Amino acid sequence: MNDLIVQSINSIVFSMLLFIMAAGLSLIFGHMNFINLAHGSFYVLGGYIGYTMISKIGSYWVALLIVPILVGLVGATIEFLFLRRLYGKHRHLEQVLFTMGLALITADIIRSNWGTYVVTVKTPLLLDGSISILDSQFPLYRLVVIGIGLTIAVVLWILMQRTRLGIILRAGVFDKNLVSESGINIQVIFTGIFGLGSALAALAGVIGAPLHSLYPGLQFEILVLTLAVVIVGGLGSLQGAFFGSLLIGIADTFGKALLPEISLFLIFALMAIVLLAKPMGLFGAQSN
Amino acid sequence: MISHKPQTDFTHPIIRSYSRRKILKLAGAGAVAYTGSLATACSNRSSSSTSDVPIKIGVLLPYSGIYATLGDSISAGLEMYLDQLGYRAGGRNVQIVAEDTEMKPDIAQQKARKLIEQDKVDLVAGIVSTGVLYGLREYFHNNKKLLICANAGGNKISRDMKSPYIWRSSFSNWQPNWPLGLWAYHNVGNKVFMSAPDYGAGHNMVDAFAHSFQSAGGTILGKQFTPFPSMGDPAPFITEIRKSNPSMVFCFYSGSAAVAFVKAYDEFGLSKDIPLVCSGFAVEEDVLPAQGSAALGAISGLHWALLLDNETNRKFITAYKDRTNVDANVFAVQGYDTGRIISNILDEVQGDTSATSRMLESLHDVSFSSPRGPFKLDPKSQNPTQHVYVREVKEIEGKLHNVVIEDLGEFTDPGDNSLG
Repeated sequence: MNDLIVQSINSIVFSMLLFIMAAGLSLIFGHMNFINLAHGSFYVLGGYIGYTMISKIGSYWVALLIVPILVGLVGATIEFLFLRRLYGKHRHLEQVLFTMGLALITADIIRSNWGTYVVTVKTPLLLDGSISILDSQFPLYRLVVIGIGLTIAVVLWILMQRTRLGIILRAGVFDKNLVSESGINIQVIFTGIFGLGSALAALAGVIGAPLHSLYPGLQFEILVLTLAVVIVGGLGSLQGAFFGSLLIGIADTFGKALLPEISLFLIFALMAIVLLAKPMGLFGAQSN
Repeated sequence: MISHKPQTDFTHPIIRSYSRRKILKLAGAGAVAYTGSLATACSNRSSSSTSDVPIKIGVLLPYSGIYATLGDSISAGLEMYLDQLGYRAGGRNVQIVAEDTEMKPDIAQQKARKLIEQDKVDLVAGIVSTGVLYGLREYFHNNKKLLICANAGGNKISRDMKSPYIWRSSFSNWQPNWPLGLWAYHNVGNKVFMSAPDYGAGHNMVDAFAHSFQSAGGTILGKQFTPFPSMGDPAPFITEIRKSNPSMVFCFYSGSAAVAFVKAYDEFGLSKDIPLVCSGFAVEEDVLPAQGSAALGAISGLHWALLLDNETNRKFITAYKDRTNVDANVFAVQGYDTGRIISNILDEVQGDTSATSRMLESLHDVSFSSPRGPFKLDPKSQNPTQHVYVREVKEIEGKLHNVVIEDLGEFTDPGDNSLG
């Protein structure tokens, strides 16, 4: 029983990290109809820049605040310079090729700047302890990750449901042309969305670094899981990203606990089952 | 990280033709040197006299992905040894042609063909992952090309998949773990939970430890084989381990998975109550800085340790640190010894690499003092006979290192599955 509870908390911690990643990817997928295979690169870029910043200025919290803004600006710049040349209904192959290229270039930039050794970010001093949950020691930082994930979920929900920007974004998922014909500058919106998506990935990178370290190849691992979440949850839906993350997080954790040899397979089996029942994902828009 | 200093010497003997790094190098300060070494290579190829043509050593290692550090370290060790010889052996110049296997058996297959059929290398060294090694076995065996394996420890290559053309300068997976299992039963505890990645090497290491541990009278409470190459979030595995309440945990991990596992083991409070006994790679010098104090007290078995007290090692670790700015690790040692074995072979045939049978013959009595201690190649298992050390992670002058606490003596792979 105790272990069941501890494993459940484990699964929620992992889900929240996935959610922050997936929320960004889902926005980009859903609103811009753009396939972004470089999303994992923004995660690791956030992690590595955070690592350098923390070792230079010594504050985790400053890095947590500044790194997403920096990486968000990088994302917006990339959108402005390159991605807008690749929009269009039948241009997914070009998008895949371009963002894959971007991911490989990022991998080499990271390799030449930070090397191939595994680097870890120390858990912030304030949270470098553990609390006792039913006789088991549980790291405090992991519990804080749940808090951060939920906070971001609420902030994004308010943004999407209660602001004018949110209305525009949601409308864009259903019909971009209509939005654009209503006199809204869709180009600016796209730049903003890509910047926000990249910033969220970088935020996940800074939060995830003390948990999972940073190493070559990480970006593709995290990308695959995030894609699974977005597909299960449905493109462009915040609820989809949230519940999709929970589902994948639970499947991953309990798969590992009960059937470790096939745990990765379980995630994709779950994805297949969801797609059979709901081809657009749990919360996916029916049109598109 | 290995630093790539711009080379002004245009006879630089290393060609790295794996493409992605090439782009970076061309973009960076090394551009001049790179094209320089290519030009040298081309002019060498057109030369007519054999003694002027350099001997080409093909190198197959992962330079990207989770074992990139291992590839870099083996390369650095090998290059350091050849550099000490002025890149000369058997009376000829020696040149390295390196390719990135990306740790994928299919890519490694293509790269091996490229090295042998296109670059016409004289022999090949490298190979980090057991899966890649098994995948390449048929190709080297059928083409009668010599392969010196500088890491991958798959037992089968010393046993039922043996080939006269494949020799190992590193270890077999059985080698450090069987002695460790016996030692752990007598010195640590009698109930073990085992955790390792779900691939050839993970199973080999667990089986070897389990064999001696059980034969001595120990009980295995459970085994856990985790996804490979990446285990993802380690928390669920750690929670499962605690549930079984063992008197010790045995694990084998390497690279980023080793960092993830050892850190989580500490964060969830297991390191306080349950001793961690592991295959040496899990707390080797390449991952120890990232693990930090989480690794303190971890006990491991391996065929080398940074602070191993012998003269060859003292010289080796100083030279390696001067050259690369990082502490040596076991992979660098294996690369270094690979260089030594290759130069031995080439000297033996006076640089005549067409004399394959004489080259193979010369491997039967390779013996020297390595940074790991006395080293010789065992003709039966085609794998080193070497000492295995029990080490403990301790803090020395503010830095964490593996300190040898016992020398278990010399071990040779049994050459069959009789001992796990």
